[in-house]
Amino acid sequence: MAVTQTRLRHKGGIPPYGLLLLPAVGFMLLVYAYPFVSSVITSFVSPSGGLSLVNFQKTIDLYLKDIVFTLLVTTSNTVMILVAAIMFAVYLRMSDTAVSRLLSHIYKLGIFIPFVVVAQMMRSFLAPHGMLNVALAQLGLINIDRPLQLFNYAGLTFGFMWKLVPFAVLIVHGGFQMIDNSYLEAARSTGARLFHVVTRILVPMNKSSILVATVLVYAQIVSTFTLPYMLIGGKIPTTITVDIAHRVNYFRDFGVANALGVVSYVFVLVTAVYYLKNSMKQHQGKKVKEVVHA
Amino acid sequence: MHRKRLIRLAIELVLLVLVLLILIGPVSSLVIWSIAETWYWPNAFPQEVGLQYWLQALGLRTSLAIGAVSIVPAFLLSIMIAVITVVFSMAITIPAGYALAKYHIPLGGFVLFLFLMPNAFPQMPIFVNLLRIYTDIGLAGTIPGVIIAHMLVGIVFGVWITSATFKSIPPSLEEAARSVGATKFTAFRRISLPLAAPGLLASAVFIFIKSLEEFTGTFFVGLPFVQTLPMTLYSASGYNMQFASVTAIVLMVPSVLFMILIQKVLRAEYVGGMG
Repeated sequence: MAVTQTRLRHKGGIPPYGLLLLPAVGFMLLVYAYPFVSSVITSFVSPSGGLSLVNFQKTIDLYLKDIVFTLLVTTSNTVMILVAAIMFAVYLRMSDTAVSRLLSHIYKLGIFIPFVVVAQMMRSFLAPHGMLNVALAQLGLINIDRPLQLFNYAGLTFGFMWKLVPFAVLIVHGGFQMIDNSYLEAARSTGARLFHVVTRILVPMNKSSILVATVLVYAQIVSTFTLPYMLIGGKIPTTITVDIAHRVNYFRDFGVANALGVVSYVFVLVTAVYYLKNSMKQHQGKKVKEVVHA
Repeated sequence: MHRKRLIRLAIELVLLVLVLLILIGPVSSLVIWSIAETWYWPNAFPQEVGLQYWLQALGLRTSLAIGAVSIVPAFLLSIMIAVITVVFSMAITIPAGYALAKYHIPLGGFVLFLFLMPNAFPQMPIFVNLLRIYTDIGLAGTIPGVIIAHMLVGIVFGVWITSATFKSIPPSLEEAARSVGATKFTAFRRISLPLAAPGLLASAVFIFIKSLEEFTGTFFVGLPFVQTLPMTLYSASGYNMQFASVTAIVLMVPSVLFMILIQKVLRAEYVGGMG
């Protein structure tokens, strides 16, 4: 073992962490950073090889509707998911009954089921002749001859909520649990109503985990391919992830596919900057603390 | 007071039933489709149920039905890809996670940035361009190409889980071992590694699950030659609901079981993973 160590030291004075990190960093540079940079560059290269905006022009001409649709889906679904998740997490935090304890376990189911399986579930559950329509017809709420058409915005929203509300609850509820009971008791004892306890104490004190949940939910909706692909496919309007797949599979048109990719980068620009800043601070902060401890 | 409590209980029960219906509805739709042998619309339930499609999918009975394929080869291929992905990813992430946890790294910000980027930006353009690069070097549509794409997903999470694990081990333990003459590597092997084992195992299981269920990367760099289980699910979904449902359940069960086992060890933001 001593031999290994001396060898490490002798090799041109590379510090040990350099060798430890080399494979991982090398892999990420080659398999992540290089394709990332090349996706941005390719989007500005015209089919004839010169630098131009022709791919973006084509993207706007062909896919403006889908870009607007994607923006609508991502923003509205993120808001709905977060509102539902905060309400559910508040309920879990504030009540301690047999029902709430049971719910605090079973709500997680959606998190563990892969997106591709969720997509298949929604395809059968929300189909015109699927279980939801049949059940609604049995209850007399709809006419079975005119079933609800859900392979569109509505179904996509249901699918995203089914999968991502539990994920957001997990993060937000974790934050709520860090808030000491004494704050809540103090507020309740001075007669604060539940609404005020939530808006003045729980949500403000838990701002960071709510923001992280927002950012991650939003980024996931922008980048999810399976659910819109299997639910809506090539119908108009669809999401830009589906358009990218079509562009590549049917036309081998990497220019427009990458221009659409760059549009999806722009979608997440604000949330990405926030997430990166926040996470870097967190990780580096922890490291400083540990150095002090040592 | 008594009435108030009753109302509260009633509201809670309504909530419980609602959550159960929303959660169980889509899952049961999948289960019913997987055993439906005859199902004429608009009946609420199939006229005939049986395990015919399960037996066909599992290769125990041959069938001439449209879209009837045994999912066994795809299942074995998926398991093989997942195992190789885990081995290579762990070999890369254990040293990296250890370095991130134990050393103060100059340019550490850049390294962190590199590993956080994939969580913040959509990954689809990455796979699109990997396909382009793969096509030039002959990796498109090959199993090694798919494994590299799966490793990308695995390594990003693996680095965070392993570095968090190593961070939770007090440095004083390794220092104690070194003070009685152990080399750095021995101290790592005999002290840190065993203590980190549960976290590393969780990381391995997580990478395995992520590889098993990976769709987008395989779709771009693997099709049409590398038919993993999610690809089989996708192609069956177009024309045979029963086979698609059987495949979906086969894919879902290990994910749910393993995730329940390891979720306690993982930080909330990693559990969700990427779509």
